[in-house]
Amino acid sequence: MYKHQNSRGSGSFSWVFQRITGLILVVVIIGHYILMHYTPESGHTYDAVLARMQSNWYRILDLTFVVLAMYHGLNGVWGIFRDYKLKSWQTITIIGFLIVFGLAFTLWGMKTILDIPYVQTTSGL
Amino acid sequence: MSEFKKFDQKSWVKTNLNYRKDSGSWAWILHRITGIALIGYLFMHIYSLSPLSQGREAFNEFMSHYTTPFFMAMEWFLFAFVLFHSLNGIRIVLVDWADGARYHKSLYRYSIVIGVVMFFAMGYVMFSHEIHNLLK
Repeated sequence: MYKHQNSRGSGSFSWVFQRITGLILVVVIIGHYILMHYTPESGHTYDAVLARMQSNWYRILDLTFVVLAMYHGLNGVWGIFRDYKLKSWQTITIIGFLIVFGLAFTLWGMKTILDIPYVQTTSGL
Repeated sequence: MSEFKKFDQKSWVKTNLNYRKDSGSWAWILHRITGIALIGYLFMHIYSLSPLSQGREAFNEFMSHYTTPFFMAMEWFLFAFVLFHSLNGIRIVLVDWADGARYHKSLYRYSIVIGVVMFFAMGYVMFSHEIHNLLK
């Protein structure tokens, strides 16, 4: 009788994870904004990107950023849809659409990051 | 007998627009609008950075469209969306996890003030080179 009284399996994980990813993204996105606009070149030239991407830590940070932002964003969109009474075929269509587009763009973004070559540089950056 | 008005499904948009809104309702509405805008921007962002794979010339050519004053101003306004969603997101977390329901209205006012300050601080970071060139 009390079996269904806990909140497991009712979306509580995504509720918690939405907050955790959100808090991480606040820090990362403001840092991202400052860094990308610190000089006119830092976010808008190939050489600046190339220099940053020589560091694997930078690649890991950017890959994490893409994945977390996409998850947080699409989970948020799903949260909006969930406010409305949906028929099961609508649920399946919307979730399918979000997963397909989310995965495609996440993989595209990850490919863009990983395609940037490692080059031999004389100076540190 | 019934004093309750029957819910009119056809005018629910109008009903919702007329409903009295305090800071919490505005926060909820703006959190959705900024959230949808930001996920839309993320898709655009992934698309617009994809020429990185085609090398230096292709990418710099592509990026030259985005370094015009118009796009720089748009990037600055986008930061207003980022700030609202970030600060209101923190407010939501505090309401959920730190008894913020008791102080959510003052939190809202503080986040507006902090947001405005951070918006102009970011404006200085973004346009500092232009400002220095103008003052020279």
